[in-house]
Amino acid sequence: MASSREGAPSATYQGQWVHSAYDPRQEARTWAEQQVGEWKAGELGVVLGVGLLYHIEALAQVNPHNSRLAVVVPDPSVLKDALEARPLGPWLDSIQWITGMPHEMAEQLASHSTSLRFFTYGPAARLHAEEHQRLETSLRRIVAAQTGGRLHVAVVGPIYGGSLPIARYVVRALGELGHRVTCIDHNVHHASYQAFGSHRDERSRLTVQSRFADVLSLSTIATIGEDPPDLVLAVAQAPLSLAVLQHLRKKKFLTAMWFVENFRHLTYWQQLAAGYDYWFVIQQTECIEALKRAGANQVHYLPMAADPVVHHSVMLTADEQQEYGADVSFVGAGYANRRSLFPRWLSRDWTFKLWGNEWDGAADLSGVLQRNGARIDTDTCVKVFNATAINLNLHSFSSLELDAHPDFVNPRTFELAACGAFQLVDERTLLPGLFSSDEMVCFRSPDDVPSLIPTWLKDSGGRRAHADAARRRVLQEHTYRHRMQDLLAAVGLHQPDRIGSILRGERSAAELKRRTEPATELSPLLNRFPSDRRVELKDLAADIRARAPGRELSREELLVLMLDSYRAETRDLL
Amino acid sequence: MTQRALLIQLARLGDLVQTIPAITALKEAHAEWTIDLLCPAHLEDIGRILPGIATTVKWDGAAWRRRAASAKAEVRPEHIAEADAEIRAITEDLYDRAFVLNQHPRAVMAGALLARESLGAVSGGPLSHTLSPWAEYIKRVAISKQSHRVHLADAFCGMCGLSPPKRIMPIKLPWTALPIDLDPIGQSAGPWIGVLVGAGDQERLVPIGVWERVITECLESIPAGRIVLVGDRHEQERAQNIQRSLSQLFLGRVWDTTGRLSLVQLASLLTRCQTVIGADTGPLHLAAAVGTQVIGWYFPRARVHETGPYGPNHWVWQAEAGERDGMAAVEPSRWPITETIALLDDRSAAAVKDWSLWRSYRDDLGAYYVEGGHEPIEPLQREQIWRQLQPSSVA
Repeated sequence: MASSREGAPSATYQGQWVHSAYDPRQEARTWAEQQVGEWKAGELGVVLGVGLLYHIEALAQVNPHNSRLAVVVPDPSVLKDALEARPLGPWLDSIQWITGMPHEMAEQLASHSTSLRFFTYGPAARLHAEEHQRLETSLRRIVAAQTGGRLHVAVVGPIYGGSLPIARYVVRALGELGHRVTCIDHNVHHASYQAFGSHRDERSRLTVQSRFADVLSLSTIATIGEDPPDLVLAVAQAPLSLAVLQHLRKKKFLTAMWFVENFRHLTYWQQLAAGYDYWFVIQQTECIEALKRAGANQVHYLPMAADPVVHHSVMLTADEQQEYGADVSFVGAGYANRRSLFPRWLSRDWTFKLWGNEWDGAADLSGVLQRNGARIDTDTCVKVFNATAINLNLHSFSSLELDAHPDFVNPRTFELAACGAFQLVDERTLLPGLFSSDEMVCFRSPDDVPSLIPTWLKDSGGRRAHADAARRRVLQEHTYRHRMQDLLAAVGLHQPDRIGSILRGERSAAELKRRTEPATELSPLLNRFPSDRRVELKDLAADIRARAPGRELSREELLVLMLDSYRAETRDLL
Repeated sequence: MTQRALLIQLARLGDLVQTIPAITALKEAHAEWTIDLLCPAHLEDIGRILPGIATTVKWDGAAWRRRAASAKAEVRPEHIAEADAEIRAITEDLYDRAFVLNQHPRAVMAGALLARESLGAVSGGPLSHTLSPWAEYIKRVAISKQSHRVHLADAFCGMCGLSPPKRIMPIKLPWTALPIDLDPIGQSAGPWIGVLVGAGDQERLVPIGVWERVITECLESIPAGRIVLVGDRHEQERAQNIQRSLSQLFLGRVWDTTGRLSLVQLASLLTRCQTVIGADTGPLHLAAAVGTQVIGWYFPRARVHETGPYGPNHWVWQAEAGERDGMAAVEPSRWPITETIALLDDRSAAAVKDWSLWRSYRDDLGAYYVEGGHEPIEPLQREQIWRQLQPSSVA
């Protein structure tokens, strides 16, 4: 506790002021006024950050629609301090205090039938950043399980590379969840991009390829403008420039990026951080903080996953078993650490097959390299995974040893598990949050591997048990469907009146009818739609136009058409 | 029986002013009718001074846009109720008929919402895309670049099922004070020449250097002449740049009014000018409507036979495309500067390469243009068009 210059009590935490050192009340009023513009009628305001309650008092006083206000209290002792520190008024009685463990607080919040509008008072919220993160994760899961509305999502994929299949899995998952997906596939431009790469002069090559990416960026917004989505979801390497992202924001489009990359290796996020409304990353604290420092507003952890349509158990013929099978296999590219470590894991006691490309010059491994190091397709991968007793899963690293920052979990981990294949994976700090030791066998040191291989080769029952358990876990929690549910729930929580409202099914014909007096004009128009169908102004207008020939339009129909003519005004995106 | 009619004109200032002949024709044909006007909110003040209009009601496009944005996010019964209230604020009781002079779906739907019966630019119901014969004619001549055509303002009469009026009613300009420092404009010997420094579309802007030459030559050749720079607040910078480029010798002879006048004040200012020069813009048509002679510079796509200033004794310099596609934009490489000054001085203008000169006339079948140096023509071709599109009018 410390006194502010104005005299009112203030507080510091780890050397930083939680409230203003000069005038906490004025600061709180300014903060509250900045927040209320977003607060829609009927939403439950939820404040993260307790402090000395100045900001909550200010928010309660400017409450624009007399909405309910709740405060998350991860540590009641902080609230007790605040209550003792200064006199508080009757506004306190209107606050709902949310206490308990993060998952309990999430359940309390989710039990409200109204949508939630979060307000984070940063200086106080940082005291309980971890609890808030866990609360949000729990809430996302609860919300994700409840959602049923139909969104329109434009998925922007890369021109080429490892994130290309991820974009396709994302498209399929969103479709399976019932959302309408516009797939903006830039892979069709790959040949041109490669052709531009043939310029010998590096500066010319980079300039031409960069301009080409700019053209694709413009092409993306042209597509978006033709059929505006609720959310533009880019997958890593999507050719969207910062200028285009800022333009989309100006035009009120919501954008999200699933950055399925190691943020330490690929650093283009630094230029784009402020451009996307939402970032989803496969690494945690360090990555999230780095992105926020670079200007990102919302950053969420969203690990990789598997697509069971692609990654699944297969029955192999004897010939296939012969061709793809081995005691030990690895599928992937020849990164430095793999070139260095794999030779140490060869033995006469087991067969070893190495699949994939970029192994040129790896003389020690030439005897086990399959198909002369040709790139292999996904179907072949799946066959190798299924045919192998022990699949090695060594996360890539550019040095000769194991990854020095072993945090994220690669897609192969989930894909092997989804195939029901047994794997030995290098230890990752984020793995325990995704799989248990009954599901996944890890090695901490390269020296562990030569002893683990014979141990598990002898234990086919143990292999099967782990592989089956890992597969069940993937199907229960780690498919791209789960990830997309989670992603949309996160966006929905922060956009309760847009994405959140749609996800909750509030735009369905049934829900609109429920909220419409039967006697009103909208009712007969809504009756024409199936109950579960999402109905927007443009749908009503399209239905009226389709039925227009040969009859006189009602006044209500004309009003809908008039409104729709303004809605349909071009967004002038280009 | 007294009928209530609504004229719907939701386009820009120039189109609104060009509606005067249609209003006049309606009053001539149906003196007992009450004729109201629906126009964009920002032109309401001009609507109020148009002759023959009982009440001007504004169409608040910005409010509709806001409502549509809200309904796009989530359509609710309130949106329909609010839209209905907006329409009822225009009129509780439906008009007997609406004359819809724009083919934009919004104007057509406004007609359907506000009146029992609509006619005008579109035939059929409110969702029809079939143009009425007159709207089809305007579209066709715009493409074929025909001369001796029926003027747009007269075609508006045709859309209302009427012939052009016998005489044009003047705008009822109320007494309007100008800012005190601008009040001397037009009060002393002149001539006072209005120069429209800007244009709504970028491609219709006359280069600043060209205006500088026009003003310089004008002030040099007409010793008592005064120049009035006319434009809105977006055109103030252009006006300042023009003035900076002028010789100090002209100090006190150039009056800058840009960005300082309301629309009604603008109309009043234009009456104080003897002639107004400018591209095909709303203020040019407003000047013609308040009875001031105008000299139009028509480029790059503006065509004298489509949107020439209405009424007699106006001049239009038309940039010609030559052998090129008639629909293509014409970017003039030279400008009829000296020749325009000659017209101001009542001298005959010499020919200018890539430009043709046209003079406006008006007869029983409306306004028309004749190439400079030629005599007014018999209305044979226009008569044929009227006979074809509207036999009753010619009979």
